[in-house]
Amino acid sequence: MTNRIRLQSVNLHYASVGFRERSLKSMLLSLASLTREREKIVDIHALKNLSLNIGPGERVGLIGHNGAGKSTFLKMVAGLYPISSGKRAVEGTIRSLFDLSLGFEPDATGRENILYRGLLLGLSPKFMRSIEDEVVAFTDIGEFIDYPIKTYSAGMQVRLAFAISTAVGGDILLLDEVIGAGDANFIGKARKRILELVEQAEILLLASHDFVTLQSICERGIVFHHGEIIFDGNIFDAIASYNKANGIATE
Amino acid sequence: MSLLDYMKGVWAARYFWWHLSMSDLRARWRRSFFGVFWSILQPLGLTLLLSLVFSNIFGSTLGAYAPYILSGMIVWEYVTTTVIGGASAFVQAAPYIKQTKHPLAIYTLRNVLTGLCVLGMASTALIIWVLVVFPQNLSWSWFAALTIFPILAMIAWPWATLMAYIGTRFRDLPHALGLVMQAMWFVSPIYFETSVFRKGNLHVLLDFNPIYHLLQIIRAPLLSGEWPTAANYLWCFGTIAALSAAAVLVGRFAERRVIFYL
Repeated sequence: MTNRIRLQSVNLHYASVGFRERSLKSMLLSLASLTREREKIVDIHALKNLSLNIGPGERVGLIGHNGAGKSTFLKMVAGLYPISSGKRAVEGTIRSLFDLSLGFEPDATGRENILYRGLLLGLSPKFMRSIEDEVVAFTDIGEFIDYPIKTYSAGMQVRLAFAISTAVGGDILLLDEVIGAGDANFIGKARKRILELVEQAEILLLASHDFVTLQSICERGIVFHHGEIIFDGNIFDAIASYNKANGIATE
Repeated sequence: MSLLDYMKGVWAARYFWWHLSMSDLRARWRRSFFGVFWSILQPLGLTLLLSLVFSNIFGSTLGAYAPYILSGMIVWEYVTTTVIGGASAFVQAAPYIKQTKHPLAIYTLRNVLTGLCVLGMASTALIIWVLVVFPQNLSWSWFAALTIFPILAMIAWPWATLMAYIGTRFRDLPHALGLVMQAMWFVSPIYFETSVFRKGNLHVLLDFNPIYHLLQIIRAPLLSGEWPTAANYLWCFGTIAALSAAAVLVGRFAERRVIFYL
C-alpha cells in the first residue's frame, strides 16, 4: 500500500456552540442590557473547499498567516477534526507532533516519560524499552534523564518530546512549528533527524514560519490564506506567493 | 465506523489506558501515610458511624447492620464516582484528545478501572467483617459475589461514556448529576434496609429498581449465604443493554464532535 493523502473539496467548520458563552449569568445579563445589537457568533469556516494529492516521498511545507488554517489542516489530516463536507482519504500510519509538552507527567522522570509518551502514541511497553537507549542518546540531556520532568527547562522538554516522537517511524509525519525550539546545536540535529525520516519514503507535512528551514527541507509549498489554498507548487514560488498575498515587500 | 472497529481501537490503546488508570491510582495515594489503606479505612469508618446511628433508629443489631451499609456504600460510591467523574472525563483528557486519535471511550474506561481497584480494596474490609460476624455464611455462593466486578464495570462504562459525551457539551452536567445520584440513592435500598421499604408498601422501589438487584448480587451471598436469583442478573443485564444502546446511539453522533467542545 502506498502512503498518500487525497482530499476532495474538503470543508471544515468549527461549531460555534463550542466557544459561545451559554451561562445563566450571560443570559440574564443580555436580558438586562437594553442593547439589542449583540454580535452574533457563527460557525467558523476554517477550511474552504480544499482539494489536493500528496504522494509518497513528498516533503510539503505549509505557509500562511496566523489563523490561515495550517494547524487546522494538519489536525484534519490527522483525523482529529471531522470534516463537514468533501472526501478525505489518508493511507498510512500518521505520526504527529503538535504540542510537545502534552502527555508528560511532571512528577515522573524523563526515562519514565519516554515510556508514557510511547504508550500515548499507541506503542507497546516492550517496543519502548527496545528504543529507550537510542532516545536517551538523542536527547543528550545527560543525567537529567533520571530527574523528574518538572525540573526540566522548556528546551529540554522539547528535546525529549521530539526525540520520542521521531524515534518512532510513521508513514506520514505531521509537524506543527516544532523545529524552532531548542538551541542551535539541537536544531541541526533535529533537522538531520527529520531528513532521515523523510528519506524512508515517508510523507512530511511541516507548518512553519521559518522560511529558511522550509526551503532546506521541503520542495513543495502550499500557501493558506483565510482557510483557502491560494498556491500549491514549488516551495520558492510558494514563499513568493505568500509574501505577495500578505503584502510583504521583497527585494 | 462499526462498533467492532471501535472496540478494536480500544484494545489497540490498551497500554495507554492501563497506564492512565495506574497513574491515577499512584497520584491518589502519593505522599499519604496510610496510602492505599485509605480505600479500606474510609468506608469502614463511615460505616461504623452510620450503623451506630441507624441501628438505633431502626432497632437492628450493629454487627448485622454494618455490613449491609458497607456493601451498599462501596458499590454506590463506585457508581457515583465513576459516572460523575466520567461526565468530565473528556474535558480532563483534552490534551490527549487534541493530540492523538484514540477511541474516546478509553478516557472513561480509565475511571472505570481506577474505581474497580479502589472497590476491590474496599471490599476486603467487607469480607473480613462478614467472616467475623457471620462465619456461617461462607459458602460456594460467594463466588457469585465476584461477578459484581464485571457487571459493575459493564454498567459504569457505557453510563460514564454517555455522560462524558453530554458533559463535554453541557458543562452543567456533573453538577446536575450529583443531585440525580443523590435522589437515586434516596429511593434505593443502599443504606436503608429492605424491610423499611416493604413496611411502607414501597415494593416498587425494590422489585423494579436495578440498584436493588445489583446490590443483591453481592448481598445475597455475603449477608445471607444465598445465591443471587436469576431475576437479579436479568435486571443487571437489562441495565447494561439499555445503557450500552444509549451510549452507542449518542456516540455515533457525538464522538467526532467532542473535540470542538474542548
